[in-house]
Amino acid sequence: MRIRIAVLTFACLLSCRTAIADEQRSDSLTADAAAELLEELTPPADEPWRSIPWKIDVLDGQRTASAENKPLFIWAMDGHPLGCT
Amino acid sequence: MLDRESTFAHPEIVKLLRTEFVPIAIDQAYQRRQKDTEGNYYRKIAAQGPRDLNGTTQGFYVASASGKLLLYNNNRDPEKVLRLMKQSATEFRRLPSSDRQATGLRDQQVDRRYSPAPPKGGLVIRVRARILDGYEPTDNKWRRIFQTATSRDNLWLTAEEHKSLAAGTVPDLVARRLARYHLVDNTRGEPPMWKDSEIKSIDLKISDGTINGNVHLRTASGDREYKADLHGWIESKGGRVTRLDLVARGNFRGEGPYTRGAPRGWFPLAVTFRLADGKDTADAIPPQGSRGWIQGYLR
Repeated sequence: MRIRIAVLTFACLLSCRTAIADEQRSDSLTADAAAELLEELTPPADEPWRSIPWKIDVLDGQRTASAENKPLFIWAMDGHPLGCT
Repeated sequence: MLDRESTFAHPEIVKLLRTEFVPIAIDQAYQRRQKDTEGNYYRKIAAQGPRDLNGTTQGFYVASASGKLLLYNNNRDPEKVLRLMKQSATEFRRLPSSDRQATGLRDQQVDRRYSPAPPKGGLVIRVRARILDGYEPTDNKWRRIFQTATSRDNLWLTAEEHKSLAAGTVPDLVARRLARYHLVDNTRGEPPMWKDSEIKSIDLKISDGTINGNVHLRTASGDREYKADLHGWIESKGGRVTRLDLVARGNFRGEGPYTRGAPRGWFPLAVTFRLADGKDTADAIPPQGSRGWIQGYLR
């Protein structure tokens, strides 16, 4: 009886380990899948926020604001809003 | 990316910014620390708002060229932002010309620590990441934006590294930089980067114009981990890289203090790398992992 329980426990542990390993494993990345992901993650060029003529230098903005008689709009974030996250 | 998908996707806000304002986008962690003309000017504006300059000053600011603050807002509702922008534009027109058209400022001092430029003769690679699956379905529109978001960052390479890649070799430092600072889940905010000791294994090789490899990253406590395969292509001409496309795809688990809300358990994460053409303003933005520490990032 004890031997049976030990065998069953071992089998269960083995199958759990296999399941975890399967979950962590990524299928091998093929050239086709890589090409597809490259396209999928490239944003369309016509995203509205990209049509805004953002400056990334505050002083450049200050000089333009003065010359064009316009207020500055500063989008200040943690991490660069155009380049991070 | 919430703002990119909501506030700055609103047609009227986009139109106003294109015509009535001078739009500026910054990582305030730089300007609020910079000991130079730009830092002084930004702090002059931010100090008039509600934020303590010793902490984050994030938000939207409208100001005159003289530095007079007309609006501070950190609300993400596009309709509210639009209304406040219109109000502040009206207020701006009432200001004297000494405020509206104050003398343009010159960079009399430049704090080099916070003004890094892409390495001369090097490469800028655009990096994007996306979680491919694993989130619980939601009707919440803000959560949905995060769940489908594609993040952005830049990878910088030095002239020496550029030369090595063009010759068909991936320098160890490049592989480790790519892993530590760019194989991260930054789709919900600023991610924790990997320590060098958290690179459990990395293999990245070029053979006949194809890049192949794999990586295993894991924190000491085991609370974050990424196992991925890499595949891509590289072409060069006259000692210059003319194409670099690379994809990492694998399973990730865990999150950081500013990237809460990751899917539970293991989830598929893809990160793509593509040579920048220098046409995008964002190409000049330093890598997030280099913040105030470009030498450490490149070393």
